[in-house]
Amino acid sequence: MAERKTKKETASTKGTTAAVKKQAPAKAAIGEQPEAKKEARVGVFICHCGTNIAGSMDITAVQDYAKTIPNVAYVDNYKYMCSMPGQAVINKAIADNKLTGVVVAACSPRLHEPTFRTATKEGGLNPFRFEMANIREQNSWVHMHDQEGATEKAKDAIRIAVAKATLLEDLFPKSVPVEKAAMVVGAGIAGMQAALDLANAGIKTYLIEKTPTIGGRMSQLDKTFPTLDCSQCILTPKMVDVGRSENIELMTYSEVESVEGYIGNFDVTIRKKARGVLSMEEGEAMGIVGGGCNGCGDCEAVCPVVLPNTFEEGMKPRKAIYIQHPQVVPLLYTIDFESCIKCDLCVKICGEKKAIDLNQKDEFVKVKVGTAILATGYDMFPVENKTEWGYKRFENVITSLEFERLICASGPTGGHMVRPSDGVAPKRVAFLLCAGSRDNTGNGKPYCSRFCCMYSLKHAHQLIEKMPGVQPYIFYMDIRSFGKMYEEFYYRIQDEGAKFIRGRVSNILEDPVSKNLMVFADDTLLDRPMKLEVDLVVLAAAVQPAADTNRTRKLFGVSCSMDGWLLEAHPKLNPCGTTTAGVFLAGVCQGPKDIPDTVASAEGAASAASIPIHVGHVELEPYFAQCIDEKCAGCGMCVNLCPYSALALVEKDGRKVMQVTEAKCKGCGTCGGFCPGGAIWMNHFATPQIIAQIDAFLLGGEQ
Amino acid sequence: MARIKGYPEALETKLRDRYMYGEDAHPEFTDTVEKISMTIPHMCYQCGTCTASCPSAPRSSYRIRKFVRRALLGLETEALTDPDLWLCTTCYSCTDRCPRDIAPTDVIMAMRNLAFKRDIIPVNFLKTVQAIYTTGHGVPNNDVNRAARVKLGMDADPPTTHTYKEFIPGIQKILDYYKLKANADRIVKEREG
Repeated sequence: MAERKTKKETASTKGTTAAVKKQAPAKAAIGEQPEAKKEARVGVFICHCGTNIAGSMDITAVQDYAKTIPNVAYVDNYKYMCSMPGQAVINKAIADNKLTGVVVAACSPRLHEPTFRTATKEGGLNPFRFEMANIREQNSWVHMHDQEGATEKAKDAIRIAVAKATLLEDLFPKSVPVEKAAMVVGAGIAGMQAALDLANAGIKTYLIEKTPTIGGRMSQLDKTFPTLDCSQCILTPKMVDVGRSENIELMTYSEVESVEGYIGNFDVTIRKKARGVLSMEEGEAMGIVGGGCNGCGDCEAVCPVVLPNTFEEGMKPRKAIYIQHPQVVPLLYTIDFESCIKCDLCVKICGEKKAIDLNQKDEFVKVKVGTAILATGYDMFPVENKTEWGYKRFENVITSLEFERLICASGPTGGHMVRPSDGVAPKRVAFLLCAGSRDNTGNGKPYCSRFCCMYSLKHAHQLIEKMPGVQPYIFYMDIRSFGKMYEEFYYRIQDEGAKFIRGRVSNILEDPVSKNLMVFADDTLLDRPMKLEVDLVVLAAAVQPAADTNRTRKLFGVSCSMDGWLLEAHPKLNPCGTTTAGVFLAGVCQGPKDIPDTVASAEGAASAASIPIHVGHVELEPYFAQCIDEKCAGCGMCVNLCPYSALALVEKDGRKVMQVTEAKCKGCGTCGGFCPGGAIWMNHFATPQIIAQIDAFLLGGEQ
Repeated sequence: MARIKGYPEALETKLRDRYMYGEDAHPEFTDTVEKISMTIPHMCYQCGTCTASCPSAPRSSYRIRKFVRRALLGLETEALTDPDLWLCTTCYSCTDRCPRDIAPTDVIMAMRNLAFKRDIIPVNFLKTVQAIYTTGHGVPNNDVNRAARVKLGMDADPPTTHTYKEFIPGIQKILDYYKLKANADRIVKEREG
């Protein structure tokens, strides 16, 4: 077990002092409701949101009702409460009416809670003396055609919010220092770009990759649309940069094992899988002069075990000791221990370099990082599940990724495009778009995979360019050429002679002798069913989240949407963030993206992930649990319940009581709801506050 | 068709007004078809997988994709009066393959039901009704079949209403309840006298 720690104590100490200062006044108030009982004066502010709210309910009736709620000292309404004049209304009312709490009845707190907290603060109150009543998303939008019902529901919502606002207390956000290091999981183009950006910004970055080399899917591609750059040619410089960057610590053939902690202080354990080969640095560290793997490949030549190379989509053999392709970074062989027979031939040929260790075991490395970026990428949808197209049943039905390898000069055929059954160059090639995408049958993916249209156009171009006389047929439902210069590319390919048939292929049959394929489709523009004999079929298969995405996302506490893609904090305004503070998303793991979008998303994620690191500390919402020591019996049952390992039993005044690590606590309330002695006080969601809300609802305003 | 400009009839047909007007669409027709068929033709994106799967399409003018489109747009008269409506073999290949998980076959069946309510139905379908009423089978057993069955070591008649004739009144009761036989007889008489 190797311990690694980045030295960034200066920033840490600064952060801590700030934290202590800010948090000082909070403690005294636990479990008491000091001012609230004296005289609560709540101001209620009702937002029209243009006609979004006002169009579905009677604002005047709601306002008149709000005046009758106990403890309400002031009621007002405004067309847009979130606008500057709207906020000024709140501001002024707090001072004029000596308010102790503010209720804004408007949209979801997910949108404008921060806005109104700031307004409350500017009015001279503690920002946590603000409560929001959602009368838009949960009311006017869903009860658009029930004016009366919506009005009554708004009254309820405001009454409940006032009940809580009456009992709200001053709270002070906690500040925690941020470790000046970041982690990127997955080293495809997204992960590499994010890591390079972070490293160039001066941040120590751990780049974790589960396969033996970086590069990801992009390194499997031949050319890239619409500019037709050679994919490897534009990718390998970046791979080399990643390998050379002083700030990037590259860990290939490694996986994240566990994650503990919170934004600013993630403790990540990484499993370095046994690759059976020592790098030159490792060799040197072990005192073998001039030792370690130099990538000479002698071992590969003698290895007797032959397996399919996954990088070549299984179309080329590899040995049990292998590199996936000549341009791997790092240039370091890897032993596939699942198939290695330990014959020792490689050890003997390696000789004095002593690079091969057949008894190597997995190693665990612990690192501490401030923020993390997930860039776990995608896999191809197993398109053989759509049996009507015959993939894996008919030899000459291939996927687009197989096409990329077959047409690539460094691929299994040296770039000679041949069909698998007989090695003959095809004359007529059918491309099936939306193969498994835009499919609502359950056996397929409901979404658009977003880059298949464009790469299929590119494939058609490559055929026409490389093999004059070949006729590509593109079976499409819609061509989605939305990017910069994409529509122009579509025009170009049509001009070059690709035939576009608007119709989805219903099924494919194989001629058992010639191995040619009969493609059945409806030319919907001509309104005639067609049967087309072709030599090769290329399925533009859908993409789906990479196999281990689910495991990784659970480690980092990130949610996923129904189709398995990782869930962003907001689809439009926060596409790189997640609901877990300090964890960001880059590239296709968030949803299908082409290369430009992936790189943009990676740079966005890197920028977002560097902000807390550069600031040096983060403010956490003060929604943590607190222990009322006098009531705590020290049973310790809450400690194991906590999903964030935030609780511990400690000795205090000669007896055991529970203590909360506030920065770890997410305020979920599991412990507070459970504690048999009622000794746990949930800030901002305290039992008396919640009971008051329930009472206000059930008693209909009668106290 | 009236000869307005004195063209030959074939040309007149070719030159007829082919606009689709707003008033041609009846949204309630879409709703009715969806209710009867218990499927979702309004979700069709016209990919043509259904027509390409159809054994009837390559040998007739029947285009199931067009019928689903008509259901989507609410083109009631155009759908129900098109004789192609009766060319579906109900093999369900389209239903198996539709990527939008629509059951086009069931859309056709719903439209046939609605057409029948307007007495639009080919006579051969009605003869099938009459055959079921009298024998319990749409395609009753015949002597050729019986000989074949015996040759294969089976009973001459299958263990259906052919063997158990006492169940035929039950079938008749069902058909009578829906007035299917009475309507079939009436329409056949109207057409064939």
